[in-house]
Amino acid sequence: MREADLAVSGIVRRFGNVAALGGIDLAVARGELVTILGPSGSGKTTLLKIIAGFELPDEGIVRLKGEDITFAAPAKRGIGMVFQNYALFPHLSVERNVAFPLEMRGVRRAEIRERVAAVLRLVDLADLSARLPRELSGGQQQRVALARSVVFDPGLLLLDEPFGALDRKLREQMQLEVKRLQRRLGLTTLFVTHDQEEALVLSDRIAVMSEGRIEQVGTPEEIYAHPVNWFVADFVGESNLFRGHLGADEAGRPVAVTESGTRIRVPQPSFPVGSEVGVLVRPERPRLMGDGQQADNVLRGRVVEVIYVGESVKYRLRIDARHDLLVRWPFRERAGTLAAGDDVTVGWNVTDMHLVAVSGQA
Amino acid sequence: MASARIAAPRRRRRRSEHAGPLAFASLPLAFLFLLFLVPVARLMLLSVEGGTFANYERALTDGLYVRVLLGTLQIGLYVSVICLVLGYPVAHFLASASRRWATIGFVFLLLPFWTSLLVRTYAWMVLLGRNGVVNRFLLESGAIREPLPLLYNMTGVLIGMVHVLLPFMVFPIYSIMRRVDRGLLLAAEGLGATPWKIFARIYVPLTLPGVLAGMTLVFILSIGFYITPALLGGGRVLMIAVLIEKQVREFLDWGFASALSMVLLGAALLVYAAFRRLLRSDLQWS
Repeated sequence: MREADLAVSGIVRRFGNVAALGGIDLAVARGELVTILGPSGSGKTTLLKIIAGFELPDEGIVRLKGEDITFAAPAKRGIGMVFQNYALFPHLSVERNVAFPLEMRGVRRAEIRERVAAVLRLVDLADLSARLPRELSGGQQQRVALARSVVFDPGLLLLDEPFGALDRKLREQMQLEVKRLQRRLGLTTLFVTHDQEEALVLSDRIAVMSEGRIEQVGTPEEIYAHPVNWFVADFVGESNLFRGHLGADEAGRPVAVTESGTRIRVPQPSFPVGSEVGVLVRPERPRLMGDGQQADNVLRGRVVEVIYVGESVKYRLRIDARHDLLVRWPFRERAGTLAAGDDVTVGWNVTDMHLVAVSGQA
Repeated sequence: MASARIAAPRRRRRRSEHAGPLAFASLPLAFLFLLFLVPVARLMLLSVEGGTFANYERALTDGLYVRVLLGTLQIGLYVSVICLVLGYPVAHFLASASRRWATIGFVFLLLPFWTSLLVRTYAWMVLLGRNGVVNRFLLESGAIREPLPLLYNMTGVLIGMVHVLLPFMVFPIYSIMRRVDRGLLLAAEGLGATPWKIFARIYVPLTLPGVLAGMTLVFILSIGFYITPALLGGGRVLMIAVLIEKQVREFLDWGFASALSMVLLGAALLVYAAFRRLLRSDLQWS
């Protein structure tokens, strides 16, 4: 790994008897964009506040570019932060808002003017520099906040759920814009969100948090395809998750037996025989099968729900008394031909699935 | 015809929307009309009785009255500024204190309202006189050798007026301070601002509308003051209200008294308009 710009180690934060953060270790390399992904109450905002300096940890160290900043005043940290509601100063124009951090650093007037103009051009707001924040749209306000947080070349950029207030289309556009800016400026960035889709789109790496702990750190691909436990598998992406006990079939191949007795062939497990595991099959993996087609697992099911999502259609199949299987099927193949009540055959191979520990199950 | 038939009930409904609030406000409106607007109009007529503006000419050219009018505005300015200097920190304390401390603070702030103005003014005379509590304490503690002239002069008048008017400064500022987004102060801190800069560059500008409202209120109330300057000023601090009263009671010159009142009213309206202008241009961002 490249040199770590931000290194957080052993961070503990307690509120009364409750540990909001139970020993967090996380490193962000120079120029890397790492997302902290977790549901509300997982402690991700507390962690962000500790890094920004608005809150202090009970234990642990925060290092920025090698320097211990655990107890440094927020103003001394040189961290740019974009707040959830942008926190633009309502009485200052766009230009003055963006100039603020430079003025606080005693930068010369002429240089301030230059740097503000440059960064406003970068976020495409050069024409609106004289406006007040309330005269801007949500997306524009967002870009002002972004410009203000990067204009002083911060050692670290923190983004606290910055896209929450935007509608879907604008959100997607801003996500790409932020990523482009972050790349271009080579900013070490920590991004906090509860939106797993957003995390997958934006991140170099994702740290999935739950109940004050980091469950897994990895690239979006790793997190999606190889979640380490039930929580991560369930939280990131859509998933079919079944509990089952590991065993073997007549041919000695590994299987998982679900609560309702269904035997599912699984990949070679790293868990001991007899132990309980989570069987993960992403909805895009199972195939609707015609006659004569083969797969490691072939199940009969009845369509109980049909959900159109534009480019594909999702079928909810009842495969036994306790389990449904979500199947995502591209529209161009046999789509729309199935209706609720139809009986179908689905199948998938062991290479389409992944076993996870049941720990961290919600 | 058809359209008229359709439009008619709609119009009736619209009128009935206003009918409720109007009926609700009719009593206070009637009260204001009879007991405020009518007397003010009468006063206005009285001031130009005989069809001449002689009373106004006198009020605006006679050295004494001009001096007292300017003096009154000056006192209004002093009182507003002192109230601001004292009231801003108090408002900040109330806005940021815990519930319990805020309650205690409000009780102290409101306590004077539960006592009559006259009683409060006499209480100040007891406190501020040559042999008053304040002077005796200072003399006995050795802080001063001679009693301080605190009563029957400008100092006494200002102390009394500030005491009465302070709440009118604190409340508007307090209510604005409560609405300041704490996130903005955090953001400023995160962007590198020192506490002083956060205060000067963010907090003060954001609370300015409250300051302007408080200043307007205190200034307008103060230039009409009568009892406090009359008693605590001991006849040496003349405010326009005192002169108006003299015209009525001693000289029975109702016409001139009315003209002076109108000039005072005009001054108050002028100040109000000026502050309104400032206020509006400053409220643009909120």
